[in-house]
Amino acid sequence: MIRTAAVGDIHMAPETQGTLRPAFETLSECADLLLLAGDLTRHGTPEEARVVAREIQGLGVPVVAVLGNHDRHDDRPEEVTAILEEAGAQVLEGRAVVVDCGGARVGVAGTTGFGGGFVGRCAGEFGEPLMKEFVRYSRRCADGLRMSLEQLGEQGCDARIALTHYSPVPDTLAGEPLEIYPFLGSYLLAEAIDTAGADLAVHGHAHAGTENGMTNGGVRVRNVAQPVIGRAFHVYHVHARQPVGAGTVGEPT
Amino acid sequence: MNHHGGEPAPGVPAAGYNLEYRVAHLKDRIAGGALGELGVRLEVRGETVLLTGTVPSAHSRDEICDLVAAELAGHQVHCDITVADASSPDHAEDLA
Repeated sequence: MIRTAAVGDIHMAPETQGTLRPAFETLSECADLLLLAGDLTRHGTPEEARVVAREIQGLGVPVVAVLGNHDRHDDRPEEVTAILEEAGAQVLEGRAVVVDCGGARVGVAGTTGFGGGFVGRCAGEFGEPLMKEFVRYSRRCADGLRMSLEQLGEQGCDARIALTHYSPVPDTLAGEPLEIYPFLGSYLLAEAIDTAGADLAVHGHAHAGTENGMTNGGVRVRNVAQPVIGRAFHVYHVHARQPVGAGTVGEPT
Repeated sequence: MNHHGGEPAPGVPAAGYNLEYRVAHLKDRIAGGALGELGVRLEVRGETVLLTGTVPSAHSRDEICDLVAAELAGHQVHCDITVADASSPDHAEDLA
């Protein structure tokens, strides 16, 4: 069993320094790793990233993160990434990492992801260059996630987790206005997860959403935005399974 | 009928005084400015404006509520914004 702690949308700034640290210091007692589902800062400035870095440094559990849209607002995602990695976090964008959790090999594939909407109610790659680029960007993020999950499948991980900021499913957006769903996630992420296979998908971004959801392929999805879970983090017990190779469409592993 | 410039037709309020538009632009300011807060909802309920959502600190909540109250002086503003809970969870979810 892999004890997976997760939270997103902590939106840290100098004024919130230290607010999460007391809870994070209990992680080594209740979790094997910590996932951060993006929007770790308010504007994506290096100063805010350093606040997050101090909050997560030396927790005694591996920390794996993706950035959110807030972390990209200041157009310095590389600097934010470097500061978090200096503090010991692995920051994923279109790549995966394998973490050793008490003897179990846990693969985490990550991307910020992007919007576009869900089947039957989504943006199409048509018309103005900006519109086409919007959809293409979302597709590139999903492709990166799929390939990373497939690589983890080939490496025989005990469990695979998809970590995104944007949502792969509409289930976990329940509570948000329907009109903004296309800005909150994309079915392309769920298609990538179901195509490559995963044991759990974790995301943030939708503050007014709902914690629990599932992809069409049966992969459980958890929206861990801090306003949704109402805690510093939540812990999910993921059971190690026999890994299934990539391309098992529609079947959770 | 369209009015291109000049005074609005009698009985039609100028766009600058329309509460819905003012609230929409105020929401943009809260999202894009120093506050950087996209998680707050501003809703017009008659002559009243309701603020809901969860923010990371009491400081953020107070700044947003003060800004909205100042910008919409003359209107009643209800601030139901809550501060995120930073406590440890008391249980785990088993995904068997």
